[in-house]
Amino acid sequence: MERYDLVVVGAGPAGLSAAIEAAKCGMHPIVFDENAKPGGQLFKQIHKFFGSKEHKAKIRGFKIGEELLAEAQSLGVKVELDSIVMGLFPNKEITVKKGDAIRHYKGDAILIATGASENVVPFPGWTLPGVIGAGAAQTMVNLHRVQPGRKILMLGTGNVGLVVSFQLLQAGCDVVALVDAAPRVGGYGVHAAKVARCGVPLYLSHTIVKVEGTDCVTGVVIAEVGTDWKTIPGSEKHFDVDTICLAVGLSPMSQLAQMAGCRMVNDSRKGGTVPVCDKYGETSEKGIFVAGDVSGIEEASSAMIEGRIAGISAAYAQGFLEQEKLEAQLAEQEAALESLRQGMFAPQNRRKTPTETEEGITVSTNLLKHGFVADNEIERFPGVTHTSGIHPVIECTQNIPCNPCQDVCPKGCIRVGEHITALPVVDNEVPCIGCGMCVAACSGQAIFLVNEDDGHGHATVTLPYEFLPLPEKGETGTALSRKGDLLCEAEVVGVKTSKAFDHTNLLTIKVPADMAYKARFYKRQLPIPCGTKAGE
Amino acid sequence: MNRLNDRSNSIGEFVPAPDDNLIICRCEEITKGEIRQAVHDGMYEITEIRRYLRVGMGLCQGQTCGKLVKGIVAKELGVSPSDLESATARSPMRPVEMKIFGNEERGSHG
Repeated sequence: MERYDLVVVGAGPAGLSAAIEAAKCGMHPIVFDENAKPGGQLFKQIHKFFGSKEHKAKIRGFKIGEELLAEAQSLGVKVELDSIVMGLFPNKEITVKKGDAIRHYKGDAILIATGASENVVPFPGWTLPGVIGAGAAQTMVNLHRVQPGRKILMLGTGNVGLVVSFQLLQAGCDVVALVDAAPRVGGYGVHAAKVARCGVPLYLSHTIVKVEGTDCVTGVVIAEVGTDWKTIPGSEKHFDVDTICLAVGLSPMSQLAQMAGCRMVNDSRKGGTVPVCDKYGETSEKGIFVAGDVSGIEEASSAMIEGRIAGISAAYAQGFLEQEKLEAQLAEQEAALESLRQGMFAPQNRRKTPTETEEGITVSTNLLKHGFVADNEIERFPGVTHTSGIHPVIECTQNIPCNPCQDVCPKGCIRVGEHITALPVVDNEVPCIGCGMCVAACSGQAIFLVNEDDGHGHATVTLPYEFLPLPEKGETGTALSRKGDLLCEAEVVGVKTSKAFDHTNLLTIKVPADMAYKARFYKRQLPIPCGTKAGE
Repeated sequence: MNRLNDRSNSIGEFVPAPDDNLIICRCEEITKGEIRQAVHDGMYEITEIRRYLRVGMGLCQGQTCGKLVKGIVAKELGVSPSDLESATARSPMRPVEMKIFGNEERGSHG
């Protein structure tokens, strides 16, 4: 049996962060993960994260994973992969299966950072090949570069459903619809808006009636649900699809904590059965800590901070850190966590539907019902202004903790302020130089540069574009509305790519002046040569 | 918990439902109807249901169906899913071949 200062189960964002902090204090942690690669779900997150600088905002998830891994390695953290922790026994002893062997380890402290698993929902046909978890679909497209199918229906409009739908579109799949039994979009409005403007319809208050097929999925029938959660006869809609993705929530994988005798609680707001823990992440069993989704479903940014807190606390508990330093370091991490847990989507605000923003602006009901802000709603938000010349138009309408737009603007045109969830305000007194940094930095792809009138009856709109192949300057295609409707002809007058934009390309299109506040996406309408498939 | 364990409380007759043949535990191929029937056979606890039907005792160890089974049993009993105790978590967390257990390192207990 080998003994370690700290045994960490799970090399995801929480586990790696904890090991890093513990190692910084002089501990020798060992991290086990059942997967072949470390990083948990981070390495398949190809989108930019929200938050502020301290939360690594506007950095793509997999980059954050690479940074964490490099930091862990530089500190000498031992990471054992393909290693299944089979059990957690009294005296903090664990058994680990690796290959054909079972080994025993003992940790003076243990951190359980095992994450979560995807929920399913049963309906006729749900066991057919082709019905998969949204997380599985994300693994396929982003890690293995395989399309799970050609035509896909997504069930669930939380952030997982929205983000994965967009990434499936990026991978060249046809997402035919997003469906959710809830009456409102569950995830960030900006994520929904990205998908909607590509032309994907959202069906709220709808559910899957049945999936068709004998050997695999060939179609799906959805129907509207009434207030009694029963389907309304006659409201059925049919789609030809080969894949159904389920994004219906996550459940903490808390069995190790239960096995260890930690006091457990069933908390639906946390996603299921979770160990009870204090603010240091310590469970009812002394020396056993938890961090990340296993202690309550949140997202990777908060999992990393929870991991750091648990790592610091474990170091203190084992005598590797003085109390003064513990308190100073914890205060810093708790402040970072607190600022993430703010706004409309904060854990304490789940299941609430605010009618107004923190600023007192009536929220967009169309965004919640259909996934995009209606033309008659958009003007009331402080990021949407009118002025002559080029200027940013920020279609950020919900209070979420995020402020990179403010940080990147070299001129100070954009203000979020001290309160990180405040809606960004555009100050037209400060002239915009059209650098596009804000467009690329917005994790929600909600910023556009607009020149309302070029003097010849045309407007230019610069939009974030993350699809390949890139349109070419001079080509003509179609401008799409926020809903994804074909609006008008659009000429590509600029394509900007820069290292500073981190793979968010800036596409500038020329449209009739009256489309300046309507055109929000661009569709290439180049003929596809015979015999080639899309994406080749 | 006492109320839950009181088997003399009537939960009514088993009423067949159109979705009774829906598979819930796909590892062990157990249907919704079988789970509902098990409750009427007197299995009120998740652990009892597991032993009776083998739901959640297959390859995925209930990771997929655990919540669903809880929901079905709770509805049949007329209680909230959170009133039901979760199935006991036991080692091994993942399926392990018997021959690998034979390779377990020796002299390490203690």
